[in-house]
Amino acid sequence: MIAVGILGLLLGLLLAYLLLDIPIPGEWAPYLSLAALAGLDTIFGGWRAALEGRFHSDVFVSGFIVNALLASLLAYLGDRMGVDLFLAAVVTLGGRMFLNLSIIRRYYLNQWSLRRTRG
Amino acid sequence: MATGEWRTQILIFFAIWTVVGVLLGIALKAQFRLQTAELPSTRLPELARAYVQEKRTVQALETEIRQLRQKTTELENALATGTEQARVLNDSLQAAKMLAGLMEVEGPGIELILRDSQRRPPPGSAESLLVDLYIIHDYDLLRVVNELRQAGAEAIAINGQRLVATSAIRCVGPVIYVNDIKMASPFTIHAIGDPNTLLGALKTPGGVLTDIMEADPKMVEMRALETVRVPAYTGSTQFRFAKPVPSEEVAK
Repeated sequence: MIAVGILGLLLGLLLAYLLLDIPIPGEWAPYLSLAALAGLDTIFGGWRAALEGRFHSDVFVSGFIVNALLASLLAYLGDRMGVDLFLAAVVTLGGRMFLNLSIIRRYYLNQWSLRRTRG
Repeated sequence: MATGEWRTQILIFFAIWTVVGVLLGIALKAQFRLQTAELPSTRLPELARAYVQEKRTVQALETEIRQLRQKTTELENALATGTEQARVLNDSLQAAKMLAGLMEVEGPGIELILRDSQRRPPPGSAESLLVDLYIIHDYDLLRVVNELRQAGAEAIAINGQRLVATSAIRCVGPVIYVNDIKMASPFTIHAIGDPNTLLGALKTPGGVLTDIMEADPKMVEMRALETVRVPAYTGSTQFRFAKPVPSEEVAK
């Protein structure tokens, strides 16, 4: 699972850096960053769900798209209204990522200690 | 869990990672480019603040340039009170500066105001296709300036920007840059010269303003003035590429 993820991420980064030379207007950059953050959040969420055995690909894909769009839209709206709404997205997504990561970490730690006591 | 389902899940996982990778890559690249452009931030409100700040700095610096150039003239004049030689030198220096547009000048002349028309042709009408006619363009200003020079204008300024030999008038999106300073309608053009000749040149039938006047007479406003003040040029006077040819070579 991890190997697949890292491979995909590397492939994506390479694609973005080498092949796709999309000129992003400066004012779009923050929204794009938020979309990427939402994507990362979805990935950790999916990873955790897979470990807990309740991974559903439809939830996963729709979550990715909706979260990325919502985060960018919220930031855009915030900019229009003069409220730093993007902070809400950053805090929520960031907090959830840490939560998911800690659950993932505990799962692997558990497995490791189980294997050690058995072996 | 069936193997086929497992494989699809891995595939979807991989695909999403790839998409996130692309997104991250593009975002990082955009951020990197913005940072190398030395912008203080990528957030709109902060950018707006920084922009206003910079604009103020530019204005203050322009005032400083104006004052310093005036001071230079005063000092040159003070120096020239010594010998006859110094006086002659200073006279030709002041003449050159006047020709270069580095001195504020005044004299009889005209004021011409060009503004975008308030008239909006009804949408869908044949007139609405000619909406360009109701807007003042960079080429309108260029042709007016050319006409004024031809009629003997000795100093011209558009919205306070003195036109010199290196001045450019160019349209960039909805604004016009004169001497790299952004401006929009209305454009107030001051020119020093014989008022009657200047006005006559502008009013020539079939001349530079005919099309504009026909579209909407309210777009043009002009009058003769007894004294017109045209400010000095405050832009850069540095030559980066051109160098004077040594005098021996000129003789050949």
